[in-house]
Amino acid sequence: MFYKNLLDPWIILPTILFALFVVPVIWIISSLFGDYSDNWTHIYNYTLSNYIYNTIFIIIGTSIGTLIIGVGSAWLVTTYNFTGKNILEWALLLPFAVPPYILAYTFTGLFDSYGTANNLIRDIFSLPHEFIFFPKLRNVYGAAIVFSFTLYPYVYLVSRMAFINQSRSILEVGRTLGFSKFQVFYKLGIPSIRPAIIAGLMLVLMETISDFGAVEHFSVNTFTTGIFSAWFGLYDFHTAKQLAALLLIVVITFLILEKYSRRKNRYSSGSNVFSPIAAEKLKGSKNIFASLFCTIPVFIGFVLPNIQLAYWALNYKLDFFNEKFITTAWNTFYLAILTAIICAVLAIIINFSIRYRKNKILNILSSFLTVGYAVPGLILALGVSQLLVFMDNLLFREYLEFVLTGSLVGLILAFVIKSFALANSTIESGFLRINNRLDDVAKTLNTSGWKLLTQIHLPLLTTSFLTSMILVVSEVIKELPASLILRPFNYDTLAISTYIYAAEERMFDAAAPSIAIVGVGLLPIIILSRLIVKSRPGYRNNDNHYQSY
Amino acid sequence: MTEIILEIKNLRHSFNTDMEVLKGINLNVSRGEIVSILGPSGCGKTTLLRIIAGLENQSGGTVNISDTIVSDSKNFVPTEKRDIGLVVQERALFPHLTIIKNVEFGLKGRRDEKYKTALNLLKLFKVDVYANNYPHEISSGEQQRVAMARAMAPNPKILLMDEPFGALDHALKSELRDETKKIFKDNGTTAIIVSHDFEDAISMSDHVLIIDDGLVAQEGPAKDLIPITRNNSFKIA
Repeated sequence: MFYKNLLDPWIILPTILFALFVVPVIWIISSLFGDYSDNWTHIYNYTLSNYIYNTIFIIIGTSIGTLIIGVGSAWLVTTYNFTGKNILEWALLLPFAVPPYILAYTFTGLFDSYGTANNLIRDIFSLPHEFIFFPKLRNVYGAAIVFSFTLYPYVYLVSRMAFINQSRSILEVGRTLGFSKFQVFYKLGIPSIRPAIIAGLMLVLMETISDFGAVEHFSVNTFTTGIFSAWFGLYDFHTAKQLAALLLIVVITFLILEKYSRRKNRYSSGSNVFSPIAAEKLKGSKNIFASLFCTIPVFIGFVLPNIQLAYWALNYKLDFFNEKFITTAWNTFYLAILTAIICAVLAIIINFSIRYRKNKILNILSSFLTVGYAVPGLILALGVSQLLVFMDNLLFREYLEFVLTGSLVGLILAFVIKSFALANSTIESGFLRINNRLDDVAKTLNTSGWKLLTQIHLPLLTTSFLTSMILVVSEVIKELPASLILRPFNYDTLAISTYIYAAEERMFDAAAPSIAIVGVGLLPIIILSRLIVKSRPGYRNNDNHYQSY
Repeated sequence: MTEIILEIKNLRHSFNTDMEVLKGINLNVSRGEIVSILGPSGCGKTTLLRIIAGLENQSGGTVNISDTIVSDSKNFVPTEKRDIGLVVQERALFPHLTIIKNVEFGLKGRRDEKYKTALNLLKLFKVDVYANNYPHEISSGEQQRVAMARAMAPNPKILLMDEPFGALDHALKSELRDETKKIFKDNGTTAIIVSHDFEDAISMSDHVLIIDDGLVAQEGPAKDLIPITRNNSFKIA
């Protein structure tokens, strides 16, 4: 049996992929057990405490911010009807399209001493130009605000889905026991969806500690900026890896917590008798409060940065489609679409292998493959760089020094490892919707393996395939640190262009690539908002006839 | 002498070590015979069908199809090489294919020949007018007819049917049972029907097997089958 499995392509391929995905991460972790250089001693004695303090401060600030905004708005749009609710329930997802680094750039443009907002205040009230109304944002507070307003949709999304699935009866029982509406919210509503909230919060925290662009722009020293400066400032690859390994341990801890919360989440709505929450209409000041509470995050996280970007683009640089922009956009879309196709195809092969072979080991391997999503881009870039150097030494030593290193291969590999989970979750749910009986019947009709995949499963997975591609494309377009490190020489993407222009304080030049990134980022939001509607209990999907056969 | 198409000897199966679903089933099915396997929910009848189809690998015993061992402790012929047909309660029609394409799916040979065979079968089951429709465009009774046409198309040695009329209303069931039996008998089809419905068994089959607690409790001609209304079960007189 063991040797039979060794020759089975449906087992070999996922195993090779697993090795390819895991090796870069193992390489990083293993660095902790090697020698420590003088640079490490220096960082350990003088800067590591600063990295840890700043990172923890940002984590706490972002947690508080995302919880208040995410859970509060999810509760309001689920349990109440108020002015603008129909728009706000999906608009609250819009900041998903704005990566933290773009919000950081636009906030700088808006709220810096001589930014648009301060200028406006001075002009309106004829104040002297030394007068500064908005406080400085280039610090840990500013970073926490930026992360809160760009990442709260993670908490909003999971909380909203959990609230939708929460039975009205639970809340009504609370009211009969003498609790006020607010007491019902924090004594029953929140505790009953706590695992979902924690799962969303863990995603926020993983994104927060992975970020490089925003903290670097605000000159806040965190682990990621530390890794970057150890590598490109001190030229000490090994110390950079050791810092990355420490960060990776934190990420893995968050990941385990997230998985654990998700598992518990299954039991949180275990009632067989379900009556959906009936939204109550708000009037007067309560109506205004609810509208404002849900409008402000959308305004700060999406509308404001886009107004600033549009202002830059229209006032300073109208040649949106110049040659450089077109080349950069082409590079980005080429990379994103290629990555998306690879991710979707791999996800199909792996999920088919699991379904077809019913192999438990494959199932475990596949769950490891999705871990890459949580690994910060910077760490992945380090691991992939080392893997490529190793491969170059192994394969091309006699011919050329570096073939794979510095090529698109590394960049695509890093993107695939990072984005695979997105494609996998969509394809996996697509496979789950295909009745197993179709496979049974197909097998009796002399159809198995490749033929079963191509003639039965693939046509039924078209929507999942396209959805997974959109999710991956929007993720790849936003990804900054991995692109910055692994790109071939002079190969710019939209994210890199934005970063470079912003680093040079050429914000008006950064507008065009930023708008393109936000524009593409809107696509998965449309899908997400549709998914929320479909997740309502009792929703009947009339478009999909496949499920019933 | 009647040719034995399916021979099952001392078939045992357990999903985990401490729960044995089948505890030693013996069964012979002759060519052209229609056999019903009856029993309460969870007695192991569907598992038995899945083992015959090769969708499940038994823990012990032997399954022979046309004098060839298709599964025992050493051999396992995969489903697609067993030359069997399968009809399930959910119909499991391929939703992205038209009715005619569903029936053509398991056929080999030239395109026009496949089309002709498929259309003839659809005519036989009176659903040829829907040849170019998709499965969701026809009723559940019509879908079941298509599912049977599709399973019969490659002319399998045995047709396995798992609660084939389970999801249909009473009048439709009765009509479809009579028509199906006639088609099977006219074509000399060998079929095994798994059901918990007394009417299915008595009206369709020649021979009946009652399974209880993983064992063959009773077997005999279908005409001798008697329902026991007290506990909604059956016995053979």
